[in-house]
Amino acid sequence: MTLILGILEEGLIYAVMALGVYITYKILDFPDLSVDSTFPLGAAFTASAILAGVSPVLTLFLSFLAGAVAGCVTGLIHVKLKVRDLLSGIIVMTGLYSLNLRIADGRANLPIFTKETIFENQFLASRLSSSLSPYTIVVILLIITLLCKVLLDLYLNTRSGYLLRAVGDNEALVTSLAKDKGMVKIVGLAIANGFAALAGSIYCQHKGFFEISVGTGTIVIGLASVIIGIQLLTPENGASFLSHFTKKEIRPTTAVIIGSILYKACISFAISMGMEANDLKLITSILFLIILVVSTERRKKVKLHA
Amino acid sequence: MKKNLKICFLTAMTAFLLSGCSGQQAPSESPSDGQSYTIGIGQFAAHGSLDNCREGFLLGLAQEGLVEGENLTVLYENAQADGGIASQIITNFASQKVDLICGIATPMAQTAYGVGKKQNIPVIYTAVTDPVAAELAGSDGVPVGEITGTSDKLPVIQQLQMIRTLLPDAKTIGILFTTSEVNSLSTIEEYKASASEYGFEIVDMGISTTADVPLAADALLEKVDCITNLTDNTVVASLPVILDKAAKKNIPVFGSEIEQVKIGCLAAMGLDYVDLGKQTGKMAAAVLKGEKKASEMNFQIIEEAAFYGNTKVAKDLGITIPEELISSAKELFTED
Amino acid sequence: MLKLNNISKYYNTGTVNEMCLFQDFNLTIEKGQFVSVVGSNGSGKTSMLNMICGSIPVDSGTIYIGTENITNMPEFKRQRRIGRVYQNPAMGTCPHMTILENMAMADNKGKSFNLRPGTNKKRIDFYREILKALGLGLEDKLHVKVGVLSGGQRQAMALLMSTMTPIEFLILDEHTAALDPKTAEVIMELTDQVVKEKNLTTIMVTHNLRYAVEYGDRLLMMHQGTTVIDEAGAKKAEIRIEDLLARFNAISIECGN
Repeated sequence: MTLILGILEEGLIYAVMALGVYITYKILDFPDLSVDSTFPLGAAFTASAILAGVSPVLTLFLSFLAGAVAGCVTGLIHVKLKVRDLLSGIIVMTGLYSLNLRIADGRANLPIFTKETIFENQFLASRLSSSLSPYTIVVILLIITLLCKVLLDLYLNTRSGYLLRAVGDNEALVTSLAKDKGMVKIVGLAIANGFAALAGSIYCQHKGFFEISVGTGTIVIGLASVIIGIQLLTPENGASFLSHFTKKEIRPTTAVIIGSILYKACISFAISMGMEANDLKLITSILFLIILVVSTERRKKVKLHA
Repeated sequence: MKKNLKICFLTAMTAFLLSGCSGQQAPSESPSDGQSYTIGIGQFAAHGSLDNCREGFLLGLAQEGLVEGENLTVLYENAQADGGIASQIITNFASQKVDLICGIATPMAQTAYGVGKKQNIPVIYTAVTDPVAAELAGSDGVPVGEITGTSDKLPVIQQLQMIRTLLPDAKTIGILFTTSEVNSLSTIEEYKASASEYGFEIVDMGISTTADVPLAADALLEKVDCITNLTDNTVVASLPVILDKAAKKNIPVFGSEIEQVKIGCLAAMGLDYVDLGKQTGKMAAAVLKGEKKASEMNFQIIEEAAFYGNTKVAKDLGITIPEELISSAKELFTED
Repeated sequence: MLKLNNISKYYNTGTVNEMCLFQDFNLTIEKGQFVSVVGSNGSGKTSMLNMICGSIPVDSGTIYIGTENITNMPEFKRQRRIGRVYQNPAMGTCPHMTILENMAMADNKGKSFNLRPGTNKKRIDFYREILKALGLGLEDKLHVKVGVLSGGQRQAMALLMSTMTPIEFLILDEHTAALDPKTAEVIMELTDQVVKEKNLTTIMVTHNLRYAVEYGDRLLMMHQGTTVIDEAGAKKAEIRIEDLLARFNAISIECGN
C-alpha cells in the first residue's frame, strides 16, 4: 500500500509537469528543454518563499508565475531573436541553473522541514483524523493535479486555446487568422513552464527541501509520461487500447496523468527488482523506443486500410 | 497483430505495477534469536568515500551483533545523484516496512527524513557535512525528529597544521570547488576563518561542471603555492587532471581523505570514512535494539583526524615528510 | 485598391548567384477586380503574392492598400484584410482540429482570441448551413478532424474559412493545382461564386490557362519580373488560350529553351 501511495504521489507531482510537456511537445511541437530548469526554479522559489514566510498555497501560484516568466524568456529568445527551438531551451536551462542557485540564497540545498507546507500545516492537522493521514497527501495531490488538468482542458477550448493548438498544427493558418504566431508560441511556452515550476513547487513542499539536482532529467520524465500516456491511451488516428473496453474517448490530458503514474510505477518496479539507477536511463530510453515504434507501426497500418 | 502487441505492453506495465506492490516479501525471520531486522541503505551517489561509509556502517552494526545475512536483512540502493530516483528508493524502503533507513549523503538523508517521519521509520544518516544547515538537527545538535547520524565535516585546523609542517614557506593555498555544493561552501568558509592563524591565504576558485576543471586548475595553479582538496564531488572526480597539471608545475596537492592520497595527493589529515561508518552503524544498532531513540542522540562528528601520506609523491616533489608524521600515519602509500 | 510602386526584389543578395527578380515593378489593382495571373515557373508570380502578403520583404519600393502604406507591416497584421488560399490544401486548415473548431477559429478572425469559449454554440447552425452549401456533406461531420478529409474537401474548407469574415483581398496561390481535375473544377466554380457574392478584390495565380481565360476580369502574364500581357475588361474577354500558349512559346524561344 505504501508503495502504491508512493507511486501515486510521485506520479501525480510529475504529472503536473508532464501536462506542461504535453503542451510543448504535443501541441506546440516545440522540443522545450527549459523545463529541466523551470522545475527546480519552482522548487528553489518555493523553498526561499516559504522560508521568507509566504503562505504555502500562495507559493504555488507564484511558482507558476515564475515558471511562466521563464517560459516567456525561452519563447522570446526563439521568436524575437530567431534562435532555434532546441537551443533556446538549452540557453534558458543553462542560465536558470545559476539563477536558481541565486534564488535559493546561493545554496544548492535548502531545507524547509520545519516550515508549514501544503501537505503539513495546522489547518490539516486540526481537521483531519489521523486514520486518514496516509491518504491526505495523495488526496491533496489529486486535487491539485486534476484542477490543473481541468483548467488546461478548459483553456484549450477557449479562443486563445484554439490558437495554441493551431500554431503547433499549422503555423500558416495562425498567420492567416491575422494573429502573431510568435506570440501564441510564447503564451504556450509560458503556460508549459508555469506547470513545470508548479510541479517543482509541489515537489519541494512534498520532500521538504530544495536541491539543485532535482531538475536533472525532468524533460525525460515529462516526455516519457506524455508518450506512454498519449500513445497507449488515446485514439490517435485509430483505436486505442482502451477502446476495447469503452467507447468513450479518453482526453489526452488524462492520458498524460496516467502516463506519468505508469512511468513512475515502472521505475519503482525496476528499483525494487534491484536494478541500478545507472541502468534506469537505458531502460527508459528502450521503453520510449518500444512505445514509439509500436505506435508508428499502428499508424502505418491504419493508413494502409484507409 | 499490432493491437495485440499493445495489449501485451500495457498488460506488462500493469503487471509491473501489481508486482511492485505484491512482490515485496516480508523480511525472512532469522533462525538465531528470533529478533531480526531489515534496514534500507540509500546512497546518493557512487563515490569511494561513500562506499567506505557503507562498508563501515555494516561493520559497526556487526560489532553490535547485527550481522547481515544472519539477523539483519540489508536492502541497498544507489540513486546515482538523481533526486527523483532518491525519493523513489526511499519510498520503496518504506513500503517494505524496513525498521530503519540509512541515508548516505545530504540529499538522501533529507529525502529519508521526509518519508521516514510520515511512516514512523527512524533514519540514521552519515556523510552529511552540515546537519544543522540541512535542517536535520537544531543548532545545538539535537535532532529535529527521529533522525540522527554522523557528520563528515573536514578537520580543517589539523589539515592547515599539517600543510604548515610540510611546507614551511608556503603562503597561499588554492581550493577548487563546485559552486552548487553546499558542503564545499561551508568548508571554504572554515578554511578562510582559520587560514591566517597559520600564515596562509586562501585562494578559492569556483566551477560549475567537470568540463570547467582543466581551465580553472590552470588558472589556480598560477596563483598558489599548494592546493588542498575538499570532498567536493565534481572536483574529486576530476582529481587526476588536477594532479597531472600540478605535478608539471611541481606544486603539491593535499587531499581530504584516504582515497585521494591513494591516487596521488601528497598527504591528508582526513577522516576515515570506514570509521565514520562504524560509528554510524553503532548508533543504528542502538536504535534498532531499542536502547535509544534516534531523537535522543545528537549527531556526531569524528574529532580525530588521521594522517595519510604518499611518500612516492613526496619524493617526486622533493619534500621530506617529518618522522613524527610518518610514525603517526594511519596509512602510507609508497608507490602509484 | 492595391498599389505596388517601384518594387525591387533580389535573391541571394551578395553572392555570385545574385538574381534580380523585380526591378521597378509597378502594378495597380482596382477595387473589385478579379485578376488572373499566369506565367512560367520563376516568372515572379508567387513572389509577388508573397510580397503583397508580407511573407517576404521587398528590397525597395512601396506597397499601398488604398492610401495606407503597408510595406513594413508584419505579415500577420496584413492578413486581417487579406484572405489567402494556398496550393497545398493542408495549409489552410488545422488537421488535428475538428471541422467545427476550424470554422469557429476562422469565424473569429479579426476579433480578440481571448478566454471566451472557442466555439460559439449559437453560430453552429450557421456553419452547418454554409458547409451544406458546398455540397460535400461536411455539415454532417462537424466533429470529425480535418486531417481525415480529402484534399478537395480541405481546400473547399480553406476557401470558406478564408472568406468567412469581411476581407478586402482574396489571394489564391495556385489553389487548384494540387487537386484532381473534377475537384479542381468544383473548387474553381465555388471560388467564382464566393468572389462574386462578396465582391472581393481577387488575385489568382494559376497554371491552368483555361481558368485564367474563363474567370476574372483582368489577366496578367508575367515573365522575369515584368508583365508581358496585362488586359482587362472587353480586351481580356477576347483573349483565348491559344493566344496565351503562343505567347508562352515566344518567350521560351527568346530565353533559348
